[in-house]
Amino acid sequence: MIRIYRQLLVAQIQAAAQYRIQALLWMLFSIIRPVIFLAAWTAVATAQGGSVGGYSASDFAAYYIALTLVNHLCIAWNSFEFEFEIRQGRLSPKLLRPLHPLHYSVVENLVFKITTLLPLCLVLVIVALTFNVRWAGEWWHLVIFVPSIILAAALSFMLGWVVATATFWLQRINTVNTLFQRTAFIFAGQIAPLALMPEWMQVVSYALPFAYILAVPAEILRGGVTLERCLLYLVGQAVWLGLTIIAFRFAWRAGLREYSAVGA
Amino acid sequence: MDAPVVDVRALRKVYRVTERETGLAATFRSLVKRRYREVLAVDGITFHIDPGEVVGFLGPNGAGKTTTLKMLSGLLHPTGGEATVLGHVPWRRDGTFLRGMTLLMGNRSQLVWDIPAADSFLVLKEIYAIPDAQYRRTLDELTDLLELQPLLHKPVRGLSLGERMKVEFAAGLLHSPGVAFLDEPTLGLDISMQGRIRRFVAEYNQRSGATILLTSHYMDDVVALCRRVIVIHRGVLLYDGALADLAERMAPYKRITVTLRGAVGDLAAFGEVVTSNDNVATIHVPRAQAGDRTARLVRELGDQLADISVEDPPIEEVIDKVFASERPLAEATA
Repeated sequence: MIRIYRQLLVAQIQAAAQYRIQALLWMLFSIIRPVIFLAAWTAVATAQGGSVGGYSASDFAAYYIALTLVNHLCIAWNSFEFEFEIRQGRLSPKLLRPLHPLHYSVVENLVFKITTLLPLCLVLVIVALTFNVRWAGEWWHLVIFVPSIILAAALSFMLGWVVATATFWLQRINTVNTLFQRTAFIFAGQIAPLALMPEWMQVVSYALPFAYILAVPAEILRGGVTLERCLLYLVGQAVWLGLTIIAFRFAWRAGLREYSAVGA
Repeated sequence: MDAPVVDVRALRKVYRVTERETGLAATFRSLVKRRYREVLAVDGITFHIDPGEVVGFLGPNGAGKTTTLKMLSGLLHPTGGEATVLGHVPWRRDGTFLRGMTLLMGNRSQLVWDIPAADSFLVLKEIYAIPDAQYRRTLDELTDLLELQPLLHKPVRGLSLGERMKVEFAAGLLHSPGVAFLDEPTLGLDISMQGRIRRFVAEYNQRSGATILLTSHYMDDVVALCRRVIVIHRGVLLYDGALADLAERMAPYKRITVTLRGAVGDLAAFGEVVTSNDNVATIHVPRAQAGDRTARLVRELGDQLADISVEDPPIEEVIDKVFASERPLAEATA
C-alpha cells in the first residue's frame, strides 16, 4: 500500500502542479469567512470593554487563526466531487481496479493541503500580527493537537464520503451537501466559539460530529481547554470516527448495489 | 476440457426508471407522486466462453450488451441469475478477480488527463502489484504492438482520439488480464486506426491466450476477430454459435453480382434480382444452386458478361435478419 500511495502522490502532485493558481485561490477563499468573523467579534469585544464571555480580542484572534488552520487541514470536498465522478463516468474505471476509490481521494486531499499549507501559514502570520494574537496554551496542548487534528481530518473526510454515497440513490446531491455544510456552519464553531453559544446549542454541538471537526481541535490548539476536557474530546472524536466508518461501509455496500454505471 | 472462463446462467437485469408525461401539469404531478417503470435490460441469458476464445457480442442499441458486460466486470449487480468469471462472482469484486480482468470501453477514459500516460502506467503498476520485470516486458510488448513510443510522455489530454484509445488499451492490458471485455473498442476511430486496433486485439489474443468478449457495431471488427458470435436483442439471447453458420442459417442464399457490357436485361430467370443499375445487377440464389446458376449465367450471357462474382451476403444483412426475427434460434449452440 505504501508503494501505491507513493506513486499516487507523485501523479497527483504532477496533476496539481498544473492547477496551482486555482489551489492557491481556493486556500485564500477559505480564509475570508473566519477573518470576517474575527473582525466582527473583535469589534464587539472592544465595544463591551475588552471581552465577551471571557474571550478577549486576542483570544478571538487566537481562536479564529487556529480555526482557519484546522479548517484547512480538515477540509474535504469529496461529497461534491463524487456526484461528478459518477455523472462523468469516472467512478467506473476506479471500481474496476483492485483499489478502493477512497484512496485516490485521500491522496488528492493530502496533496492540496500539503502544497497550500506554507502560503496559508504566511497569511495567518500576517493576520496574527494584525489582530495582536495571544496564545494561552501549554506545551501539552500542542502535543494533544496532533492526534486531535488527525482524528478531525479523518472524521471530516469519512463524513464527506457518507454524504457522497447518497449520490447512489439521489443522483444529484447538491442540496444534501448544502444542508450538510450549513449544519456544520452552525454547530462546528464557525459563527463563534462554542462556549459563547446558548447552552442548548452547546449540548447539540457536542452530540453531533461537527464540533469534533473544527471547534474541538481549534480550542485545543488555542490552549483554551483543560487536560481532562482535551482527553474527553479525543474520545468523542474517536467515537464519531468509528461510527462514521461503520456508516460508510454499510452505505457503500448498499450503494454499489444501486449503482447503475450510466454513462460509464 | 478446461472449465469455462466466463459462465453465465439465466442472468437478468431490471432497471427501475422514473417516468412522466410531458407538459406542465405532469411536471407538477411528478413532484408529488413519482411514477416508476421497470425496464428489462437483460432477460435471463445463458452462455459460456472457453479459455482463449474471442467472441463477438452483437445486438442493436439497447439490446443489453453493455449491461451484460458491466455485470460480468462487476460494475453492476444483476437482478437475477448467476455468473462467474475466472471462477469468481464478478459483483463481489474481490481483488483476485479485479486483477484478472479488464473492461475497455471506446470513448471512455481511465487515465489521468493532466499527466503523461507513462506516469499513469506507473500508478497502475503499483495498484496491480505488477513485478518490475513483468511490467517492463509487458510495456515493451504493448509499446511495440500499439506503436506507443511517441505517445507515452505526452499529457493524455493532448492526444487525439485514436492515440488515446491506444494508450487506453495499453493501460487496460498492462496487468496481463486473462479476460478482456471490449465494449465498442473502435468507436469513432478512422478506418486505418480501426484496422490497427483489430490487428492488435488478434495478436494480443494469440500471444497471451486471453479470453475476449467484444461488442462492436462495426461488422468488420467481428468478421476479423470472432469465429463465434452471441446475438442478443431486447435482452434475449437470439443466437450463440459460429459466425459462418449464422450466415448460412439466416441468409440461405448467395449473392451473385454481374457486370454486363451493355444494359441489364431481364435476369429473373436466374434468381431474385435485388438491385439492377445500368449495367450491374445483384441476384440472390439458393446456396445449393449457386454453382449451377453461376455456370448458367456465364453460358447464357456469353460475351455480354464483363465480370461476375459470387459471395455470401454481407454480415450486416445477416445480423439485421436475426434482429428482425426477434426470436431465439433455439437449435444453435456454441
